[in-house]
Amino acid sequence: MKKEKEILKWLNGELSSKEIEDLKQSEDFETLEKIAHYSAHLATPKVDAQQALTALKNRKLTKKEPNVRTLHFRQIFKVAAVITVLLTSAYFLFYNTNQSFETGIAQTKSFQLPDHSEVLLNASSKITFNEKNWDEKRDLTLEGEAYFQVQKGKTFSVKTADGVVKVLGTHFDVKQRNNYYEVSCYEGLVSVTYNNNTVKLPPGKTFRVINKQIEKTDDFDAETPSWLQKESSFTRIPLNQVIAELERQYDIKIETQDVDTSKLFTGSFTHTNQKIALEAITIPLQLSYKIKGKTVIFYKYEGQ
Amino acid sequence: MSKENNNLCEESYFSEFYIKNVQSATNFAYYKSGDSDAALDLVQDAFAKIWENCSQIDFTKVKTYLFTTVNNLFLNTIKHQKVVIDFAKETPYLDRTNQSPEYLLEEEEFKHVLQKAIASLSEAQREVFLMNRIDGKKYREIADLLGISQKAVEKRMSGALKILKEQIENI
Repeated sequence: MKKEKEILKWLNGELSSKEIEDLKQSEDFETLEKIAHYSAHLATPKVDAQQALTALKNRKLTKKEPNVRTLHFRQIFKVAAVITVLLTSAYFLFYNTNQSFETGIAQTKSFQLPDHSEVLLNASSKITFNEKNWDEKRDLTLEGEAYFQVQKGKTFSVKTADGVVKVLGTHFDVKQRNNYYEVSCYEGLVSVTYNNNTVKLPPGKTFRVINKQIEKTDDFDAETPSWLQKESSFTRIPLNQVIAELERQYDIKIETQDVDTSKLFTGSFTHTNQKIALEAITIPLQLSYKIKGKTVIFYKYEGQ
Repeated sequence: MSKENNNLCEESYFSEFYIKNVQSATNFAYYKSGDSDAALDLVQDAFAKIWENCSQIDFTKVKTYLFTTVNNLFLNTIKHQKVVIDFAKETPYLDRTNQSPEYLLEEEEFKHVLQKAIASLSEAQREVFLMNRIDGKKYREIADLLGISQKAVEKRMSGALKILKEQIENI
C-alpha cells in the first residue's frame, strides 16, 4: 500500500486539510475513502446505559473485602502494657525480695528480721534489707536510728551513709542523722568502721561522730536506749542535734532567734508531752519559747 | 492511588464510570462476537467483576481492566463464529448529491462487499479497525484499552486496510 503512513494518519485524524487534498490525488484513494466512510456507518447495538446499570445493580453483587489486615497498634500497646505490668509485678513478687520498713515523724516501729533478730525503728527512719539472701548475708541499710537485738550467727552488718557496724550477736543502737553518727553497745561486742578506722565497742561504750569530728563519750550504764522508754537523752550534744531530734518526735518546726545552737546540752526530753519536752530543753539553757501553729521559736530569756 | 481505588468502590463513582464506558465496551464485545445480546451480557459480567474487586483494581488501569475482562470472558464463553456487522439503516452515501440509480446501486454493492470483507478480517484487525472507524477512537486510546503498543495498533490497522482494499478491488 502506497502512502501507508499518511493513510493511517488520515484515519487517525492527524492530517491537515491540505495534506488530505494531496492524499486525494493518489490513485487508490477513492476505494479507501469509501471504506473509511461506509465502515463508520456500521451499526452497533445501542445500550441504554441507565437501564443496564439498574439491571447490574439488581444482581445484588457483594464487594469482596480486600485482604488487607490493619495492624492494630493500640491493641499491641495494650497487650504490651499488660505484659510489662505482669512481668514487673512478678519480678517484685518472686525475685526482688528487698524489704523495707519506714517510720514517719513521732512514730516508732518494731519488727523481726528473718533470723528473729529484733529491730526497733525510731522516728523518721528507714531500714532496707534483702529477705532472700538473709541467711547468707545479714546486711541491712539504715537511714535514721534503730536499736538492734541481734541473734547469734554470721556477721550482722548495718550500713549507713557514715559508717558500717558489724557484730556477731549483740544489742546495740545505731543513730545516723544529719552530721551525726552514733553507735552504742548494750551487750556483746560491736565493731564500728568509720573512714576506714575500726573501733571495737564493749557494752556501755558509745562511738559518736558530730560534724565529722569523733567525740569523746562517757560510759553509760543503761541497758537499753532511752528512746525505747519514750525519752531522748543527750550528754553534751550540740543544741541543733537536740532540736532536730525534737522535730522528729513532735510534728513541729523549731526556729531560733539569737540562740547559739552549737551550745552543748545535757539532759533528756519526753516523747509524750510536748510542753514538758520543750521546757526540759529551754529552761536549762536559759531560753524561752513561743508557739505559732506548728512553729516553735526559741529565744534568749535574758533578752526579754 | 488508594484513595482513587476507594472511589471506585463508591457507588456514585462506579455508576459514573459505568455510564461513561458501557457503550464502547459493548461495541468492543460486539466486534468480537457479532452478537448484540451476548455483547451486553459480557460487558455486564465484566462490570460485575470490577465492582466485586473494586478495592484491588488500580484506578488508572480500570478501563484496560474492563476491556481485558471483556476479552477474557469472550474467549471463555463464546465460540468463534463469523462476525457480520450490519450497516445502520440510514447510512448516508458518500456523494449525497448524486442520486442516480446507477450510483446508488453501485454504492449498495460496495457496502455489501465491504461488510463481507470486514467479516473476513482477523479478530484483532477487526476490533482495532472498528474501534477506530465506528467509535472514532485514536490509536493511542485503543492501545491503552487493549494493553498493547500504539505500533501494534497501527500494524493491525494497516493490515485491515490492505485486506479490505484487496477484497474490494478483486470483485
